[in-house]
Amino acid sequence: MNVTPDPFAGAPDEALLIAFANGDAQAAHALTVRLLPRVVAQATRMLANAAEAEDVAQEAMIRLWRQAPEWRQGEALVTTWLYRVTANLCTDILRKRRGGVSLDQVDEPADGTPSVTEQLQTKARMQALSDALAALPERQAQAVALRHLEGLSNPEIAQIMDISVRSVESLTARGKRALADIMSGRKAELGYDDD
Amino acid sequence: MMMTDHNDDMLEDIFAQARSIAPRPSDDLMARVLAEAVIPQAPVTARVAPRSLTERVMDLLGGWPAVSGLVTATCAGIWFGVAPPAAVQDYAAAYFGDEVSMSIFSEDTLYVAGDFIDG
Repeated sequence: MNVTPDPFAGAPDEALLIAFANGDAQAAHALTVRLLPRVVAQATRMLANAAEAEDVAQEAMIRLWRQAPEWRQGEALVTTWLYRVTANLCTDILRKRRGGVSLDQVDEPADGTPSVTEQLQTKARMQALSDALAALPERQAQAVALRHLEGLSNPEIAQIMDISVRSVESLTARGKRALADIMSGRKAELGYDDD
Repeated sequence: MMMTDHNDDMLEDIFAQARSIAPRPSDDLMARVLAEAVIPQAPVTARVAPRSLTERVMDLLGGWPAVSGLVTATCAGIWFGVAPPAAVQDYAAAYFGDEVSMSIFSEDTLYVAGDFIDG
């Protein structure tokens, strides 16, 4: 297989963004290939809905393109900025979802094969997690998602959310406790033994 | 306490499942994002050309409508001076007389001046 070498291999995201702002369309393509999967994954984990996640990812990337001409080198990492924008867009959607019906309802299995059942159970669990995040205060939901769904460190989250590390620790601890309380009533439904 | 541990285990398990999700962006999304990757243009500020003296005078007078009225009035005035219409001429004659002469010196002054010149 003949793979075209990446002309931007090794270049930091910020350099690519500045190259895009200076008219390099190839830099935009390289950035999209690099960053879009990460943004889609973050949004999918928080929302448990593919269509909503794609909408969020598209909006986050459009905002990045708009931000490009004003990007100041050395001020922030593009990934930090995108984590923040994506988390904010997701909590906007979760807020609207509160009290309503989840858009992505789990269908009954078409047949009884274990793989389909397993997939549906995973889907139900992801949906339950997303609904529980929607019930949390927004900052708690963001901190918990960045810590436990994205696997970021507390200092990284502090930078993304523009708060102190101590505040991150407090938000994640309270948020996780609240999530556990909310989801405890759904253990059996989600396939966990209730003992 | 036991219940909390079970809840934590469940939560940790669900978190781990969530982290393993790595959806691949659809080709359609990729295309939509790239279609939006248009370099934003810097806001174009309209260059204000320096205003000429004529333009500034025009502004002072109130623009073209005012100036056209002024020109019409001036032309009419000049025309009345050069070739006054009969009605205007008759009125002027009746008011001032056919011939009007005016002197800025009094007659006494002229006599004195004449004596002085004649010796």
